[in-house]
Amino acid sequence: MLALQLLLNGIALGAAYALVALGFVLVLNATGAVNFAQGDLVMAGGILAAALAPLLPVPGLLLLPLVLALMAGLGLLLSLAAYLPLRHRPPVAVFISTIAVGIMLQNGVTVLFGPEPRAAPPLLGGGTLDLAGLVVPEQSLAIVAVAALLIGGQQWVFGRTQLGRRLRATAQDPEMARACGVPVTAMVMATFALAAAYAGAAGLLLANQFFVTPTAGGDLILKAYIAVTIGGWGSVPGAVAGALLIALFEVGVSSVLSYPVALGALYVTLLAILVFRPQGLFGEVARRRA
Amino acid sequence: MPRLLPHVSSPGGVLAVAGAALLAYAALYASPYELRVLTVAGVYALAAIGFQIVFGLAGALSLAQGAFFGIGAYVTGILGSRYGLPFPVTFPLSLLLPFVLAVLVGLPVLRLESHYFALATLGIAQVVLLLAVNLPDLTGGANGLAGVPGIAAFGVEVPRGRPLAAAVWAAVAAGGLLAWWMARGRWGRALTLVRDDPLAAATLGLDVGRLRLAAFTVSALYGGAAGALAVHTQRVVSPEVLEFPVMVSVLTIAIVGGRGRVAGAILGAVLLLHLPEWFRFLEQSYLVVYGAALLLAIVVAPYGLTGVLERLLPPPAAVPVPPRAWAERERPAGTVLCVEGLSKAFGGVRAVDGVTLSLEAGRVTGLIGPNGSGKTTLINLVSGLERPDGGRVVLNGREVTGWRADRLARAGIARTFQTASLPAGTVLDAVTAARLDRDGSIAAAQAHAGHALERVGALHLGPRDGAALPAALRRRVELARALAREPAVLLLDEPAAGLTDDEKADLAARIAAVAAGGVAVLVVEHDMDFLLPLVDRVVCLDGGRVLAQGAPAAVAADPAVIAAYLGDAPS
Repeated sequence: MLALQLLLNGIALGAAYALVALGFVLVLNATGAVNFAQGDLVMAGGILAAALAPLLPVPGLLLLPLVLALMAGLGLLLSLAAYLPLRHRPPVAVFISTIAVGIMLQNGVTVLFGPEPRAAPPLLGGGTLDLAGLVVPEQSLAIVAVAALLIGGQQWVFGRTQLGRRLRATAQDPEMARACGVPVTAMVMATFALAAAYAGAAGLLLANQFFVTPTAGGDLILKAYIAVTIGGWGSVPGAVAGALLIALFEVGVSSVLSYPVALGALYVTLLAILVFRPQGLFGEVARRRA
Repeated sequence: MPRLLPHVSSPGGVLAVAGAALLAYAALYASPYELRVLTVAGVYALAAIGFQIVFGLAGALSLAQGAFFGIGAYVTGILGSRYGLPFPVTFPLSLLLPFVLAVLVGLPVLRLESHYFALATLGIAQVVLLLAVNLPDLTGGANGLAGVPGIAAFGVEVPRGRPLAAAVWAAVAAGGLLAWWMARGRWGRALTLVRDDPLAAATLGLDVGRLRLAAFTVSALYGGAAGALAVHTQRVVSPEVLEFPVMVSVLTIAIVGGRGRVAGAILGAVLLLHLPEWFRFLEQSYLVVYGAALLLAIVVAPYGLTGVLERLLPPPAAVPVPPRAWAERERPAGTVLCVEGLSKAFGGVRAVDGVTLSLEAGRVTGLIGPNGSGKTTLINLVSGLERPDGGRVVLNGREVTGWRADRLARAGIARTFQTASLPAGTVLDAVTAARLDRDGSIAAAQAHAGHALERVGALHLGPRDGAALPAALRRRVELARALAREPAVLLLDEPAAGLTDDEKADLAARIAAVAAGGVAVLVVEHDMDFLLPLVDRVVCLDGGRVLAQGAPAAVAADPAVIAAYLGDAPS
């Protein structure tokens, strides 16, 4: 019974991590660069939700579209400030420019809202359901449902629509996509907007149970980075699977030992994976340039 | 690179004047508070100098420099305040622990792509911070430890104020000189090639993983030293020293100051540590300004302030070193390289499928075949850029199957690339890089590089920017770079592509001359008018297998070869 309970908690946490990792890997594929601000975007989404809640006393589910829209706008700004001026430079330049944006977000939020932890409202209600002896927080179910919906939506857009075909073409080969008339710049900006929106959603989902502080992004970017690495650098389903695995690992080890031990063990496991299977558990998608 | 005795109108001169002004300010005018700011700036300068080596020179984005700083700080803090150990004990240990950690983490990841290195170093930082907060019995937890003693050694105590500032800046001067000396020598040049083109570095005999590991461990030493001095300055240690803002400060200092430059690290540290002082109204939001400065620098001035300085006051061109031939050695005749049953598959595609061939000293072998027949993959296998799935490679009677590229290069295999790319910097520097593991000094390497350029008729290109050359000239320089290796086996991937007929004739004569010196040459080429008169033998690949081999005329007339090229049965 305990195992089932932990499994449920792990899946709810993993669903939120998956949104973070998904945004990370989409930008990675579209630009070939690491967006280091992804963790701070999650934090910004959480703080945004917490700040909007007193102004709009509605359930989190109704705040979600607003947070998604505002965060998408922030994603566009991010691409304008930190990616487009550096698009012809080595990927490490974007890595550094997004570190810069992350640090600005982190400290901008501290200045505006203060350093104390904040909670976002629950998606529906704060109650729990009793399913055959299993205590199921409504929030956990809602997180899984919302994350599944958003990830499913991304898969549908990418797989079935003209916009998705253009986004995928941009990610596969920007030069060729441009030659075929795909507006590559707009597609890259759209990818940043989508990644920021999903980070914002993750922030809203996580900030209810775990609270959010301006420095929370550092931990989240590490998780997203590890998820994408063990899922196979550049693989979208791998990133989602990697995020779920990390969350289950973290919840499982924390329940027996403690969170610091869990993070330490996760890191040692990561190093072992890098030594023995650098292409990730499911194989690397992004081909190395020879 | 600033020279030691600079002309005053050069960047080095400007920096020397600025340094003297700073020294005068510190010695004569600065208040105790201002001295403290300067001392902290010195601490950060030291950490940033180490970061310049791993990131600026070797190009590996380490996110652990803050962690090394923090570990050095905690070692000094714990040993000093809990156990009362003196500076001569704590300081070396503050360097040792970061060093050991850098070796343990660097070994597994430094051969991987750089984004895995960034991740692994980010992980160290998070784990160490978590440990510091959650081991209160050792570290004092979130509150940290107070009562760390000042610097005292052999009966001499260094009090706060000018003496401490002088001690810290003496460490900066010593560390800076050491780093400057390392950066300007062969090691520094090898690191920059590893940064700009790791693939070429490996084919020129440089062990990319080992060089990156060395740079990473050196950066850890600087980080640990800076952390120890920081704690002697603050007299307390708390988890703040391990938090991400330290890393961001070091990164910002290095980028704003000037990537890869020791002077940039010092300039950046003095500037950025004084920024919050000059803009008091910013109060706690100075990190927002750091972020903005970092973003602005990376977008507008990627080479930082020293880069701007060098552009405004370009240093005088280096005096050219006269070319000098290396001592030619006796080369054994006969078979040099034997490839037996070599295979490589990518996914389900068998790119090279059981190829057997041999190369003889003094002979030129042509390798032909339609696009996708496995020619380049074969060269990649023999030069070590890909690992074969099966088969053997024997070089001079020694089995070398599966060796890494740098080891094969040192064993005598040299190659060129189809794309012929050269790193930014002068042509002479690019060719000099090929001699770094052979010659005892940069001057000797440059003289020999000049000889290699002379042999392909490209000595006049020496001072030009390699990356900006047209493709045909880049190919020629690349050939010189391969010759500078004094190879036993030379693998040329489409050397004549894009050349005019005259240039092709010139190239053919030069390749023949190289072979006449006893080198076994393999040439991949589509242009039969160029290839057939040049070569002694031809091997034709199709679908990863050897379709035909033998004398040029016989292979060219082989119906199967003609069919493979034209995609049709001959009528």
